[in-house]
Amino acid sequence: MDQLEDMLLELKDTSELMIDLAYSSLLYNNKDIAEEVVLMEEMLDELANDIQRQAIARAGQDHDEGKAFAIIKLAMAVEEISDAAMQIAMVTINDDEPHPVIRLSIKDADTIITLAEVKECSDLVGRTLGSMRLASQSGMWVVAIKRGRKYLYGPEKDAKLEVGDVVISRGPPDAEKYFQDLCLGEERLEEP
Amino acid sequence: MNELGKEQRLEKYDLAHATVREILTEMKDISEIMVDLAYASIMFDSQEIADEVQNMEVDMEELSKNIRIKAMLSARTHKDANKLSSLLEVAAASRRISNAAGDIVKLMKCEVDKRPFLTVILREAEEKIKRLVLSEGSDMVGRTIEELSVESETGMRIIALKRGKRWFYNLEEGTRLKAADTLIVRGTDDGYDTLKVYANGEEKWPVYPDEEGEE
Repeated sequence: MDQLEDMLLELKDTSELMIDLAYSSLLYNNKDIAEEVVLMEEMLDELANDIQRQAIARAGQDHDEGKAFAIIKLAMAVEEISDAAMQIAMVTINDDEPHPVIRLSIKDADTIITLAEVKECSDLVGRTLGSMRLASQSGMWVVAIKRGRKYLYGPEKDAKLEVGDVVISRGPPDAEKYFQDLCLGEERLEEP
Repeated sequence: MNELGKEQRLEKYDLAHATVREILTEMKDISEIMVDLAYASIMFDSQEIADEVQNMEVDMEELSKNIRIKAMLSARTHKDANKLSSLLEVAAASRRISNAAGDIVKLMKCEVDKRPFLTVILREAEEKIKRLVLSEGSDMVGRTIEELSVESETGMRIIALKRGKRWFYNLEEGTRLKAADTLIVRGTDDGYDTLKVYANGEEKWPVYPDEEGEE
């Protein structure tokens, strides 16, 4: 992948993380997470601008304005997704307590968000997300880890879980219990 | 299902009786599947999937209008109205996501050779969109998506299914899989590898001790 493709990929992956975080912030009425979404949105604004500038510059060099046009259109659409995430996060920021129906609606969705604390007896302690293949094993995708007062947003595969970490994840409703039990140490991890 | 008209498509939401809560849930679900489908349409160069995304965009407009009317009718006090306005903000955000998905599928109009970079990017994304075909020997055949719990078992979400020439989207949990079905799925690489082994019939779908009674 060249640099422009890398930038587009970051734009896409971050916009999706932002949506998950924005709904998490609403569900748990968590203003820290909502503020992070706002920061990410500012970063993506810049990134989308850079992508558009580079695409134009490149079109000047290789005279392929069709490709530049497609890149710019994609960047704009993905940035729109990040704007939508911010719109959701702003509800968390502006409201003392979001409308209870919002929370109920999010809980009923095909894809839910859940959170669990990693206990000492859990198989997840000291393991990286990648080595456990947590996403494919549990069906839940980790969107953030809270360690002490700090958050790790969109953790990479090499992120290691520690005792006391609060893990926020996204996935199908029928995977929620297994995931929570894994964190609590009441279920064992299936090793491949 | 893409041959259905708008009225027929909207029937399943039963908008006359649906609550604000139910519509908001639908809007969240549809907006997310639309983004996945939009990327899938570009990856697999599928105009059918792109058309479905555009249909969903039209449906979202209707859901969006409906939720606004219902919210307005339910407000009794200033405080009510204030809280409901935030709820409508969330609904508006999911509509915005659906519009963005609609914009992504418009890239189908760009010439194919102008958008190869898209496939490259999507192949490298954290969660990838891939496709696989169910072999006759797979024990997934004949079972429903709900029975299999495909997503919690493998982390792979089925976003669309092609049977013969026909596409199915927004799959009902009771949808029964058949041999030669093409599945468009989203998830991690190792989730895909796991699912592929089952889809090829190389391994039996896992059964847990507490479920054996049901088998």
